[in-house]
Amino acid sequence: MYDTNRRVETAVTPDDIKIQARKVQVYYGDKHALKDVDVDILDKTVTAFIGPSGCGKSTFLRCINRMNDTIPIARVEGQILLDNEDVYDRRVDPVQLRAKVGMVFQKPNPFPKSIYDNVAYGPRIHGLARNRSELDGIVEKALRGAALWNEVKDRLQEPGTGLSGGQQQRLCIARAVATSPEVLLMDEPCSALDPIATAQVEDLIEELREQFSVVIVTHSMQQAARVSQKTAFFHLGNLVEYGDTDDIFTRPRDSRTEAYISGRIG
Amino acid sequence: MTDLPLSQPAAAMPGRRTGSLLAQDDRTRRRNAAESRFRLYGVIAIAISMIALVVLLATILTGGAGAFRQTYLNIPVTLDAEVLDPNGNRDPAEMAKVLTLAYGRVLDAAVDGTIARHGIQIEGLSEADIDGLISREASAQVRDRVLANPELVGQTVEFDVLVGGRIDGYFKGRVTMDSAERDSNTSPQQLMLAQELADRGEMVTRFNWNFLTNADASDQRPEAAGVGVAILGSLYMMLVVLVLSVPIGVAASIYLEEFAPKNRLTDIIEVNISNLAAVPSIVFGILGLAAFINFAGLPQSAPIVGGLVLTLMTLPTIIISTRAALKAVPPSIRDAALGVGASKMQSVFHHVLPLAMPGILTGTIIGLAQALGETAPLLLIGMVAFVRNFPDGLPGGLMDPASALPVQVFNWTQRSDPAFIERASGAIIVLLIFLLCMNLLAIWLRRRFERRW
Repeated sequence: MYDTNRRVETAVTPDDIKIQARKVQVYYGDKHALKDVDVDILDKTVTAFIGPSGCGKSTFLRCINRMNDTIPIARVEGQILLDNEDVYDRRVDPVQLRAKVGMVFQKPNPFPKSIYDNVAYGPRIHGLARNRSELDGIVEKALRGAALWNEVKDRLQEPGTGLSGGQQQRLCIARAVATSPEVLLMDEPCSALDPIATAQVEDLIEELREQFSVVIVTHSMQQAARVSQKTAFFHLGNLVEYGDTDDIFTRPRDSRTEAYISGRIG
Repeated sequence: MTDLPLSQPAAAMPGRRTGSLLAQDDRTRRRNAAESRFRLYGVIAIAISMIALVVLLATILTGGAGAFRQTYLNIPVTLDAEVLDPNGNRDPAEMAKVLTLAYGRVLDAAVDGTIARHGIQIEGLSEADIDGLISREASAQVRDRVLANPELVGQTVEFDVLVGGRIDGYFKGRVTMDSAERDSNTSPQQLMLAQELADRGEMVTRFNWNFLTNADASDQRPEAAGVGVAILGSLYMMLVVLVLSVPIGVAASIYLEEFAPKNRLTDIIEVNISNLAAVPSIVFGILGLAAFINFAGLPQSAPIVGGLVLTLMTLPTIIISTRAALKAVPPSIRDAALGVGASKMQSVFHHVLPLAMPGILTGTIIGLAQALGETAPLLLIGMVAFVRNFPDGLPGGLMDPASALPVQVFNWTQRSDPAFIERASGAIIVLLIFLLCMNLLAIWLRRRFERRW
């Protein structure tokens, strides 16, 4: 683990910053849910957001692809730059943004359609395939990317909801990957899975890093330590500490971080 | 936020229970008794409603079954050319000038002939009693057939003519010798004559298709009345309701539920839709009378007006049930669709709507069934009129006068002849069968759509 991180760290240059957040504030009605978040998320890196429940980590994640737009009372201030373009610019259509920033949710939520249609839905609506065989190719690639191909290749027309929980979550990952996003947001992707499925998804995240910038919200500090290179610790709506995962877990600079990772708050 | 270590002494819990697990304590006993009482209430409630249903069905079925059977008198009729075709050229146009009165005389002669042929004693029976054996509609029946086929004139042809309502009732058990005694329209002697004809095999009672295909008939001839016009009128109205209320209702619900901003205005609209659902249906009838007939100038008694009124009445039901169905679709599906970059409209039409479909269909069909059974608003727009003529085919028929099944029931229950009460029960059976079919359709559609995972 340590070695891997070191290799990644040395590969990082300032050019690799994928997402730059500056002074991000989120309000739910009168409630100030997220305060002054500044963070640089790197390309081809797994960044973990940790923190106790209600600390704003999921809120911030949902800001990145503007899923908070669907909550009428939510209000976002500040800047989130994706490749130096502000995603909250008035000219940005969230639909185009979400094609670039894929998302995997806490609970596996495959569409009640066939496995094939689940994966093919994104490419279809974005017009990524010119014909059926191209679409087949995209679906296969996405399912292979989500380490699900071998398990489902013989039953692509069966309902996606008939898979096991872990398979469903990997199907959701395949669905997100199929639109060739640049960033993949994962909101506690393993919280509804058993340990074996969790291990499979974690292995998958490790592979996904080669192509995407992965941001994962997790409740489990062990998971953050296993899969991520960078970790951000949120507490009561503040970004308390952000840095290399190793540093956060071994040499936290903030006393609140230390209290959390040692299990005293949360 | 700092949690204390969980090392509090556990012994400090108040109200610790003592006693054996094998014996119920008071509290448990009371709880269990309350539960058994509640279950009993439930069973009683269900039993009451089942009894009500059984009694209702039994009443209607026993009362209405007779409407589906009809007695005919099978007699050879000599179609006298002198009377029926005075000019002797078999020209239907000229023969049409001969009225049913002449056919009545021909029929009376045929009845007399049949009685004489069998040698039945007719002492004590007036001519009116004998002529009253057959329906007043019978002459029209014979005339229609002759005009359709003028070559019959001059021949002796076997006819199954309708018998009078009382005689028909006698063979179906509705009229007895006792009741005939007190009845000015019939007499025990007439019934005995009918019985003798039946004993000689001249009377047949068989399934009454005419009940389903005939139009309404006047007060004097219940045996000829049918629900044909009413069925057609109801079908036309349902068509109008279906074509108008489903697209409007579903579109309105989708907009309100998925797209409309949640503010004061949409709150007011929402409350008013719920209020509209509770507005008594007769109010919609007044609205229809004022708006569609008096203002827009549409014809009275027309299925189009009935359909429009029922559409107004059905829309709130459809909107409310559609919104409930849309609300029941888990938000995770919307998130999933938005998450892969679907637009709002794509997420609704590709994912939410198909999942809400069973609920929408059920609501729609319940709304339609409600509209099918609705009477009050139709009375106000003139559907209660006596309609003898069938409306034309679509679409022109929408403007022609027609009746509707529930209105026909209402109409018939107001007539004096008990034979009409039988017909009314028969019409209720027809209406119930339609409703049953619609509900079965709803169930079937629900199953079909749910099977798609």
